Amino acid sequence: MHELKYQPVVKKVFYKPYGVINLSYDLGKKAINEALKLGASYADVRIGEIFDENLTVRRGVPEEVSLLYSRGMGIRVIVRGAWGFAGSIDLKSEGIAETAQKAVSVALASSKLKKKNIKLAAIAKSRKDEYSTPMKKDPFEVPLEDKVDVLLSAERTLAEQSPLIKSSSTFFRAFRENKLFMSNEGTEITQQITFCGGGLLCVAVRNSEVQRRSYPCSFRGNYSTAGYEFFESLALVEHAKETGLEAVRLLDAVKCPSGKTDLIITGEQLELQIHESCGHPTELDRALGMEADYAGTSFLTPDKLGKLVYGSENVNMVADATAPGGLGTFGYDDEGIPAKQVFLVKEGLFMGYQTSRETAGDLGLGKSSGGMRADSPLAIPLVRMTNINLLPGDWKREEIIEDTRHGFLMDTNRSWSIDDKRLNFQFGAEIGWEIKNGSKERMVKNPTYTGMTPQFWSSCDAISKDDWKMWGTPNCGKGVPAQVMYVGHGCGTARFGKTRIGVLQ
Amino acid sequence: MSVEELRGISQKALKSALKENVDQAQVAAFLFDSARTRFANSQIHQNVVSKKGGVAIKVAIGKRIGFMRADVLEAEQIENAVGQAIKIARVNPEDKYFKSFPEPERWQSLQDAFDDDTANCSPDYRAERVKEAIEVSHSESPLVKAVAGSILSSSYSLAVTNSLGMSAWTKMSLASMNVTVISEKTGSEGFGYAEQSSRHIKDIDPVKLAAQASEKSVKSINPAKISLGEYEVVLSPIAASSFFVFLSLIGFSAAPYQRGESFVKYHLNEQVFDEKLSVKDDAGDPRTVFKLAVDGEGVTKKRVPLIDKGVVSEESICHDTSTASREDRQSTGHALPHGLIRMTRPIPFPINVIVHHGTASVDEMIEETGHGIFVTRFHYTNPVVPTKAVLTGLTRDGTFLIKNGELTKPIKNMRYTDTMLSALKRISMMGKELEAIRLGTVTVPAMKLEKLRFTGATEY
Repeated sequence: MHELKYQPVVKKVFYKPYGVINLSYDLGKKAINEALKLGASYADVRIGEIFDENLTVRRGVPEEVSLLYSRGMGIRVIVRGAWGFAGSIDLKSEGIAETAQKAVSVALASSKLKKKNIKLAAIAKSRKDEYSTPMKKDPFEVPLEDKVDVLLSAERTLAEQSPLIKSSSTFFRAFRENKLFMSNEGTEITQQITFCGGGLLCVAVRNSEVQRRSYPCSFRGNYSTAGYEFFESLALVEHAKETGLEAVRLLDAVKCPSGKTDLIITGEQLELQIHESCGHPTELDRALGMEADYAGTSFLTPDKLGKLVYGSENVNMVADATAPGGLGTFGYDDEGIPAKQVFLVKEGLFMGYQTSRETAGDLGLGKSSGGMRADSPLAIPLVRMTNINLLPGDWKREEIIEDTRHGFLMDTNRSWSIDDKRLNFQFGAEIGWEIKNGSKERMVKNPTYTGMTPQFWSSCDAISKDDWKMWGTPNCGKGVPAQVMYVGHGCGTARFGKTRIGVLQ
Repeated sequence: MSVEELRGISQKALKSALKENVDQAQVAAFLFDSARTRFANSQIHQNVVSKKGGVAIKVAIGKRIGFMRADVLEAEQIENAVGQAIKIARVNPEDKYFKSFPEPERWQSLQDAFDDDTANCSPDYRAERVKEAIEVSHSESPLVKAVAGSILSSSYSLAVTNSLGMSAWTKMSLASMNVTVISEKTGSEGFGYAEQSSRHIKDIDPVKLAAQASEKSVKSINPAKISLGEYEVVLSPIAASSFFVFLSLIGFSAAPYQRGESFVKYHLNEQVFDEKLSVKDDAGDPRTVFKLAVDGEGVTKKRVPLIDKGVVSEESICHDTSTASREDRQSTGHALPHGLIRMTRPIPFPINVIVHHGTASVDEMIEETGHGIFVTRFHYTNPVVPTKAVLTGLTRDGTFLIKNGELTKPIKNMRYTDTMLSALKRISMMGKELEAIRLGTVTVPAMKLEKLRFTGATEY
């Protein structure tokens, strides 16, 4: 197992894009004092603003050039041992008082239907700190024209590969959240989280046969908590030709056969496998039944902690909010807990949960894993993935292929589904290849595979180290009302034995 | 804040934009007040209220378009947002398809769209309904272990103005409740689920929901494993709704259609579904819950025949102004209302789907089934091959084997992977009762399909 050595968190001066609000400690104090005055035994407040720039070029036209800006505050309180939360766009003094009052009245209603008082896991000490995503080039300072030019150029290259390419799109996104967290325990944290990235997508059509190919991965590309330099490193224009050609070649590929076989999965697909089959089931709120009405529960119930064989001895997974560039990398979570790395699976054994202060307290874990995040200051924080990483093994990607007598390799997610306890899954990839005697042979289209989570990870016999990287998933849904969070997954390529493929036959 | 105040905000922002010599401008101002009391393990565990609002500004300088949405309602911030939209337009390359923002048209406010009781519902009222649901669930059986769910009360207002003279506004209230019941006996769990949506919070019936969910939950303890393959299926309205949501996403939205990834594109004017299947999107139908008179661009929401007696056509496609201009068509009024529906990407999308009902009851469907499966609900449905309408998903919250016309035993949850072009091609029976599902965006009856292909099973 290769432990990853990360750089310590970097603190920097905040960037000052358009319209930055004053992350005012005074406003925060007012909100907390108001809540305490109304009877709260605990109160925290988040004040923040989000900038979200989305650019899409399709068929030579800027289909989407938009900037979304949102701001507001959220006050979370415990009154008579029960939670209440209120969020509002109103940052005026009287608005803050009203929002605090709403949070308290909601908590009072909650308190009439509680089994026990909320007990938060203790914090080591109250902190006053600031954190900013390290970057070289602020993506919001790069002229819009420059970004659009890259997208236009890449899209042109994609489209010109073949008349069979009926739709070609290129994407850029830059996201920034400036936020303040304060609690009545004395914690005061300001943070600036920035991520950016982009990608390519083309759709090739012949008669009614339709194939798609993305670069560097699906969901509009790859994203990183970094500056514009990350988008530049994707080199969209340079990769457009091969992406377009592969989409066209897929039209002539054979269907993925059905059967049980060795399956090699590249990072572009494996990241979502990790997300669905390790990320979600290790969320402690799910395991404790708190998401039973919507996303479901988890097969990783607390009685299995430290006992269940989740995977083979090769499998080590961590929740790591300190991983450089990860989409779930930050200084502090939305309860003011410092970013940390915790083991979820160690040498195949289920060892840990992603937690909040409340859920950690419920299970007697002593402290939170620092996994509470909200997608807006107006939304309540939930236990969310940070970066769920599969630690590197001893192999090189090419060695895994060379070591495979017969099997299939699948690359880039196309479809996904998993049951509400996170056991039975089915994934589809954009592209696959048959492996024969250690080399990639014929291309296969519409590849799919399915399995049960512990059996699948127990069949993992090789994990690469040379192509290990961070993948960003900016669209993780959870909660009621629904929230969409940006999370990360570090992984390379891995091999799984006797896996069922070709569900579509 | 009233819808009249939102109109004032949108008109003021429009004036600001026009002062800057843009050719066209459009401003939508919105406000969404919502409260959600959520419960799990038979107690309230999340209880939230939020006040969200803002403006969506679009300007055109020639064919250069600038868009900014700012979730703020303060004058100074809105001015900034207008300025930013104009800045974007000035540097954005031309959109050769752009013709115009929508022309004003006659529109009518929808009857009975707004209920003050829903909009002003108190946290205590919601907590009382939750208490009823929990108490009734536990009283149904000592095997009931935990009750979960949520109750929503909300109101939404939208005002849209543009430089062509458009001035449209709409508002609605929305209430919803769902109940999940978990039962247990000798280590085996059973699950049940029920939901209800209405514009009127007083219509929400937690007792009925709890009784339905509890009954299913207790009956589904000790599920058996059955072999994979094709089965007749009786789908509850909740289960059936999943198919129509995803057919809308991959088929009836202009976005996948124009990318060449919609199954509709390859089956125009063909009898792809059973002729008993007619589906429309119609905000004006009194049976739809999600009652907004105009869309996010102020365009009147048109009635769209998504499936007409099993046939799909170009008329099945839902457009906003942008997608319509790419095909020289008119918007059908399907730009999403700002700030209300959470989608990863805003695409034109039907939110008033109504499936034409039949004449059968669910009991009659079961009686007519020789060897089949009753499905309460599907989980994590997703498209596998959109152009062939292949979907996958798992059953959840009460799945039962039907033999010789009777529900015989609970079965472990199963995964289907099948093309809807086959599954919905042979619909044996359509339910006579319509239910509003998924916050009332889909109104659908139960239905019996001749076959659905199950490709996997899970352990519970």
